[in-house]
Amino acid sequence: MSSQPRSVEGGPAHGRRFLTAWLVLSLILSPLVAIYLGPAIPPGNGSVEATGQVFDNEVLVTFATPICIFVVLFLLYAVFSFRSRTVEIVDGPPVRGDSRIQIAWMVVTTVAVLALAAFGSYELLVDGAGGGQGPNAAFLPAGHSQAMDVQVIGQQWEFTYRYPTLGGLETPHLMLPANTLIRLHVTSLDAIHSFWAYQLGVKADANPGTDNIVYVTTKGPRSFDIHCAELCGLWHGYMFDTGQVVEQSAFTAWAKQQQTYFAPVAKYLPAYSTTYLPDPQRRAG
Amino acid sequence: MTEFAAHETDYEVVEGEPAELLGRNLNSAGHLLASATAFFFLAFLFAYFYLRSLNNAGLWHPKHVSPPVTLGTLVMALTVLSATLVRLGVADQRAARRPEWRLKAAIALAVGIGAIVVQVVAWTTMGFGPADGGYASVFFGWTAFNILFIVGALYWLENLLATAIRYRNVPVGADPKPGHASGDPGRPGHDIGNPLSLVRPGLEALSFYWTFLAGLGVLAWVVLYLL
Amino acid sequence: MSTTVVETHRPIWRRLIGFNLLTGIVFGVVGYYIGWFIGHHITGASVAYFSGIDQNDISVTLGYLLGVGGFLIGLGFGVYPWARIRGYPPSLREKETQGASRYFGLCTDHKVVGIQYMIGIGLFFFIGGLNAMLIRVELLRPASQVFPAGQYLTLVGMHGTMMMGIMTSAILGPFANYFVPLMIGARRMAFPRIESLTFWLLMAAGAILTTTIFFGGFPTGWTGYEPLNSQANTGMDSYLVFFALVGISMCLLGLNMLATIITMRAPGLTWSRLPIFCWGVVSTAILNLLAAPVLIAVLGMAVFDRTVQTTFFNPQGGGSPYLYQNLFWVFGHPEVYILALPGMGIVLEILPVFARKPLWGYRLAVSGLLGVTLLSWLVWQHHLFVSGINSDLRPFYMLSTELISIPTGFTFLCGLMTLWRGQIRFSVPLLFSLAWFFNFLIGGLSGVFLSDVPSDVTTHGSFFSMAHFHYTIMGGLVFAFFAAIYFWAPKMFGYTLNERLGKIHFWVMFISFNSTFAPLFAIGFLGQPRRTVTYAQHLQFLNDWVSISAFILGGSMLIFLYNFVYSLLFARIRAPQNPWSSVSLEWQLPTPVPLHNFDRIPVITGEPYGYGSPGIAAIPAAGPAGGSA
Repeated sequence: MSSQPRSVEGGPAHGRRFLTAWLVLSLILSPLVAIYLGPAIPPGNGSVEATGQVFDNEVLVTFATPICIFVVLFLLYAVFSFRSRTVEIVDGPPVRGDSRIQIAWMVVTTVAVLALAAFGSYELLVDGAGGGQGPNAAFLPAGHSQAMDVQVIGQQWEFTYRYPTLGGLETPHLMLPANTLIRLHVTSLDAIHSFWAYQLGVKADANPGTDNIVYVTTKGPRSFDIHCAELCGLWHGYMFDTGQVVEQSAFTAWAKQQQTYFAPVAKYLPAYSTTYLPDPQRRAG
Repeated sequence: MTEFAAHETDYEVVEGEPAELLGRNLNSAGHLLASATAFFFLAFLFAYFYLRSLNNAGLWHPKHVSPPVTLGTLVMALTVLSATLVRLGVADQRAARRPEWRLKAAIALAVGIGAIVVQVVAWTTMGFGPADGGYASVFFGWTAFNILFIVGALYWLENLLATAIRYRNVPVGADPKPGHASGDPGRPGHDIGNPLSLVRPGLEALSFYWTFLAGLGVLAWVVLYLL
Repeated sequence: MSTTVVETHRPIWRRLIGFNLLTGIVFGVVGYYIGWFIGHHITGASVAYFSGIDQNDISVTLGYLLGVGGFLIGLGFGVYPWARIRGYPPSLREKETQGASRYFGLCTDHKVVGIQYMIGIGLFFFIGGLNAMLIRVELLRPASQVFPAGQYLTLVGMHGTMMMGIMTSAILGPFANYFVPLMIGARRMAFPRIESLTFWLLMAAGAILTTTIFFGGFPTGWTGYEPLNSQANTGMDSYLVFFALVGISMCLLGLNMLATIITMRAPGLTWSRLPIFCWGVVSTAILNLLAAPVLIAVLGMAVFDRTVQTTFFNPQGGGSPYLYQNLFWVFGHPEVYILALPGMGIVLEILPVFARKPLWGYRLAVSGLLGVTLLSWLVWQHHLFVSGINSDLRPFYMLSTELISIPTGFTFLCGLMTLWRGQIRFSVPLLFSLAWFFNFLIGGLSGVFLSDVPSDVTTHGSFFSMAHFHYTIMGGLVFAFFAAIYFWAPKMFGYTLNERLGKIHFWVMFISFNSTFAPLFAIGFLGQPRRTVTYAQHLQFLNDWVSISAFILGGSMLIFLYNFVYSLLFARIRAPQNPWSSVSLEWQLPTPVPLHNFDRIPVITGEPYGYGSPGIAAIPAAGPAGGSA
């Protein structure tokens, strides 16, 4: 950018000026963004996957800062420096391109994009990043074979939770033990819902007839908000809940209490299954 | 705004545009329509393989659903025959063998209508309905839209044939009477010069499209009946 | 070719009962009732299938379809096909002689169709915008206050659906129709009647969508996901018919644009001399032509599921909701590039005029547009990252989606470098074009967040996505739309739009737009899902900020409307033939543009954007003699 093939006679070296200003601003602002804005990005550190997402977002936002500065600074610089100062219309230089700049741009953008994609893939590979992976999850966190199974059943317009390890107990509120790797099986009975446990950084669509698996590693005890994140009909906006992460002992105690409480209705529940098809109509032939 | 509204009593009209321009447009349109049609049926092709791989509730292809292979093959064969006849008609039209091309077009039209009739018969006698599982749904949707597109192609063919029949005694290159087809009865002339010469590019475009559609029909036949 | 002058004196009563919008509406209503009656009759007759379901779906759907048929026949679209069935020869031009009433029916003059599109799209944009205002009224308070949940969802659905359906043609409809023939040196579009058809189909579709309120609305939002789609009552049918008609309109519009640009360029206008706006039209038209059929197919499947009980999307019946999601987004992702690409074409067309420099990196810009077109087919599953699709595929879609930012970046490079060392002259079109770059930057960068799977887990289904696509679609397309209106109004209407009002419109809109949508990124990060009528108490301040800004944004549209009506109907200051001193071909024509466009088809001898080169006349001499564009 420091020389043009057919440049205007004289005049300041705009390119060098602009690039210097950009570099300086980026070097100042990017670290500021990374240090101050980054950690404030939700969803916080409620689970290992959530922490991973925060890191991911930090990297992206730090990455986006110099790009933003580049374009905004360029627009401002161009608009102020290259304003026409004559009343009558004067044309600018008939420059139609510069292959060095084009190639440099193509190389830089391609490298940046590939680096981002590699970074994102790595983050995904590590533990699945808290996203729903369908019935054949490919990104398995370490120790996944010992994960505790919990099923999330979405229906219009409430989430219920079944614990296969507790004899298929179904409860209306989600309780999870702390510091445990949990395998959530998200499914639906009717329309498409989406289980979004905000502070745990978990989001998985509840699709009827599908077992959507998502891994989450809880940390310390806390409560977390659950929202339905896929429009599922009339009361979609009211399909929210609060879940709890509690110590293992508290969890066991709670489980026992729930089993006793729901014992009278337990016999009416269908057997635990990864999917439910509540109305298996056989169509007329 | 009156310049843009113009007076009611006088205004210019455009006339006598060279016909080869619309001819080029038609050629292009035949190919573009074919690509759009391909993408349309691609959706059904995708649906077929996707639902088959999922086989939800085991209801992809329940036992009692048996596709009407004979009638379906007949539908496919008739559309291919019709497309072939149109192709042969194109050769005749190019060589100025006008009665021959009209005959072939008429038979092709009849055969195409026959294909539609056979398909309707197949639907009413096939022993299963659209609600009988994934395959039945795809079958019904695919064949229904196939017929719709065939109707469109046959309509196009009918237009060309009707023009050829109406002007069968007019020598090649002559102009028809003014004021037809344009909806502006006060026009002194045609907006296209020598419009009858457009039968050839129209026919060539249709032939391309109809052959393409028949080809898609063969693909449908392979997927729905042979796989 | 010749032009003659005809006398057509038609008395008012004859004009009223002739085929026009009035008869179109009458025939449309009649058609609706015929369809409704047939549907009622079919389901009344005892076909064992249909017992136990909501029978009215068939009546309503058939009613809509036959209503559209009646509407088109009433407009006069049946005259030509009827003549052709009887064997009359082809003709291209119809109803171009009838003065102001040309605008209220079928007219084959592409300039008339362009203006019809502008007004028609403006009308439905206003309706969709009104829905948005009502949504933001509801979201002033965390609890449902004004609209019950069902009505709120219908508002949300109508806003999104109206905008996505109507605004896909926002640039191709008015501006490509009007200016592509002028820019390529043609006297008409390839298929003028079909052009008019695409317009009237869109209008019929918009009217049908607004009737959803009479049937209880629809609960699915603009994406129409199954199985909720099949569950919904008859209001859903208007969504399905609307979008199917929009799909047909889009497909035909794309076909027409491609056929025109491919076959009707003036001699000497090679592909490498085509104005960048036309390249934007080409790339958009390719997507229109190929993606819209997939939409029509999937909506057809949904209609079948709702009426004749097929099980495409019913997992209990052998179908799958994923089929809908996949097919919809195979259309849906190219659809959003249909929205973005024309904007790129517009701003790259406008910048050279006001920087007084040629477009920098013409070939790179074209590669950018075509690269986006190609890649847009390969990314659709990024809408489905957490939905339970094959999880192995996600890194591929992450990569392909991030790759799209490379050709998009070409647009930025070419636009920015066009400004560099230019002689920039400010005007309202330039302001909107510059704002486009800022808005699309934010929109594009937030897209990078969403394309990154772990980040998407945080933000999918939240207001972050909403902020992203409003920045790209509204900040991109709508700003480009206004740039184009201010730029081309002097040629289309012959009067100048008031510059002062234009600048006020721009600044109010730009500031309130950013004030409305920037906080949505935060709201999404803070956990508010989309399409919900309630939200957490602690988000009320942000939501109120957004709502107030949105009202101001809506108000800025009124400033524009006032400017438009005032300048064109009251002030009526004649515009010079070439107010921006552009060297582009359309500005070399007189205002108003004659019916036949060009007296003599020009021969193109040079590159476009000849600014700064000696011998290129910015202000034309008499008549459009052959010279470079």
